[in-house]
Amino acid sequence: METIVALNCSEPAACPSPNASIWQDILAQAVTGELMAAMNYTALSTICDDPEEVAEALEHAQGEHGHAAAFAAEGRKLGVDVPSNINAKYWKRIREAFMRCIAEHDFIACLIIQEIMLESFAVASYTRVGKAGPGSLGATFAAIAAEEQEHIGHALDILRAERAKDPQRFDDKVYRLHLDVMTTLTEMVAKECRHGQCDLCHSSCVKPSLSEVGLTTVELRGASLQHYLKSLDALGLPGEVTLQWVMQLPV
Amino acid sequence: MGHAIAGIAGQAQETGVDFALIGHQESWRAAADVVRVLRGPGRAPVPDEDIREIFPWIPPRAVCRVEVSSTTGAKARGLYIDSFIPPDRLDGAYLYDNIGCVRAAAACAINASAGIVSLGGFSSILIEGNFDLLPERRTTVFTTGNTLTVGFIVQGIRKMCAQEGRDLCRSTLLIVGATGDVGSGCARCLAPFVRRTILCARNCGRLCALAAELEADGANTEIATSLEQLPLRADIVICAASLPSPSLLLGRISPEGVICDAGYPKNLHPNSDMPGARIFFGGLGQITSGLSFTPDFSGILNRHPFPDVAHGCLLEGMALALEQRFEPFSQGRGSITPEHVKAMEAIAARHGIHLAPLYNAEGPLEGAVGTPPQPESVGCKRSRAPNENDDRKFGAPGSVPGDWPAIAEA
Repeated sequence: METIVALNCSEPAACPSPNASIWQDILAQAVTGELMAAMNYTALSTICDDPEEVAEALEHAQGEHGHAAAFAAEGRKLGVDVPSNINAKYWKRIREAFMRCIAEHDFIACLIIQEIMLESFAVASYTRVGKAGPGSLGATFAAIAAEEQEHIGHALDILRAERAKDPQRFDDKVYRLHLDVMTTLTEMVAKECRHGQCDLCHSSCVKPSLSEVGLTTVELRGASLQHYLKSLDALGLPGEVTLQWVMQLPV
Repeated sequence: MGHAIAGIAGQAQETGVDFALIGHQESWRAAADVVRVLRGPGRAPVPDEDIREIFPWIPPRAVCRVEVSSTTGAKARGLYIDSFIPPDRLDGAYLYDNIGCVRAAAACAINASAGIVSLGGFSSILIEGNFDLLPERRTTVFTTGNTLTVGFIVQGIRKMCAQEGRDLCRSTLLIVGATGDVGSGCARCLAPFVRRTILCARNCGRLCALAAELEADGANTEIATSLEQLPLRADIVICAASLPSPSLLLGRISPEGVICDAGYPKNLHPNSDMPGARIFFGGLGQITSGLSFTPDFSGILNRHPFPDVAHGCLLEGMALALEQRFEPFSQGRGSITPEHVKAMEAIAARHGIHLAPLYNAEGPLEGAVGTPPQPESVGCKRSRAPNENDDRKFGAPGSVPGDWPAIAEA
């Protein structure tokens, strides 16, 4: 599989660990997600008016790139090369949704996608993987989950202030983005990839094998959607409305 | 579609509701129905297996808006908040998780600036003696709602006895879960009017204390710590135990006994072999001037064969909201007296909230129109009459839920 963004990887270690191929596929999703986040923040910097915001977006981009590198390094420790592919089926759709918001110069929509939707999934799933992953692999996931959580806190302040100006308009926007992005994210963590391969697993789909490393798609999906709902609660969206949104997502 | 949902969002931004009802689903079938309504028409149903997987992850939150109307013309607006405790996780093994769910649900009610909150089903059992476990309440007050539940159980017993031609004062009453808030309230209301009362619960100390209290008022009582040890055959039974699933098998019961199953979830095992017994589901009331849900959860959140029926515990919060009495009417454990019950029944009745028509798992036991209650219309009194001028007692100390009995008391 083609590595789209180089990460200064050194050669993989000689002896792969048991379950290394499962971790390889999990890491491939994480690295791709982080690289896409880095690209998203870089794109976001192009529509920021305030130089401080520009600098902050670029700083975030650098941070996400660092996360991707950290995940790739964990792969090497396991003796596997971790591929990435931001053109993989699901990630590409999410990236396109984000870039539509960039094209519209919609800073708030970009934050909603990146900080509320994508980061909810990242924090919740990394936290779970952090508990299941052995040694430094688990520690890296847990540490990055904690860092991502900090991003969310900062973005929430901006988004809450934006919602306060016109709650109805804000909620309409969140719902529109929810349909666009969350549909894809939930398909990504569905029990089965019903629409074919995700373009990241190195051979067959990794989902049926997750239990071998102490994970399940049920847990990853449940924790991710729970985190997403709580993030929307924190923004002040009515819980009964967001519950309907989530329950209407594909199973 | 998006617009419609956004419209709901707009409504939800109104600050402050009169009441909130905290509940949970008693079966997976009920949980599946909730999911079906939330998904809306035209979407593929969620397989049962997936519902069991999804449900435990849903954070406690409002599910729908509720509006209740009074016969006086008043209306009260509220929220139904589900704690999303999975129906198969009501037992003691999940105690602390479940307390966390109720706390989070309570926080939703507080954030919505609810005037009064009713704690339905296990929510009240988890919290009743431990209101300090709830988040900081600001102006929101909480009631377990158990007083009105007791009122409707007692009314149901009287009505069923009248229908069946049973003489209450010649009957032996068995209360299962007797030392719980609901069970002890029923004992105080009915023990003076029956020949003998058997109090059944696991905690011998509490049983003895309750028996002594009732006997001091002239009642004739027996106690039993298990259903296998009943000293007498009972003619009338109130099942008010907090069981995580319907599992109760009654032993020494008259072949044609009157049995009120007031549990949520139900107490009686579905395969109980009592062919001659007259079983009904107790503690339910009916709102005569209307109850509506947005989105429409009619028949889903209130799964009864009659319209606008709800559990007494939830109706208590609605009645108090209609009455504009935002006070913690029922709190603590074991403090419900006949005087409290009478006062609560009067409040409910003023707003057209009466005993629901009786029914059981097989269907209605009477017509659709409920008869307004006639307290104490049946039976003979054995001790002093309830005095509605007595001081009300709130917030009596309760138990610590860490001591979770196999058969707890509702």
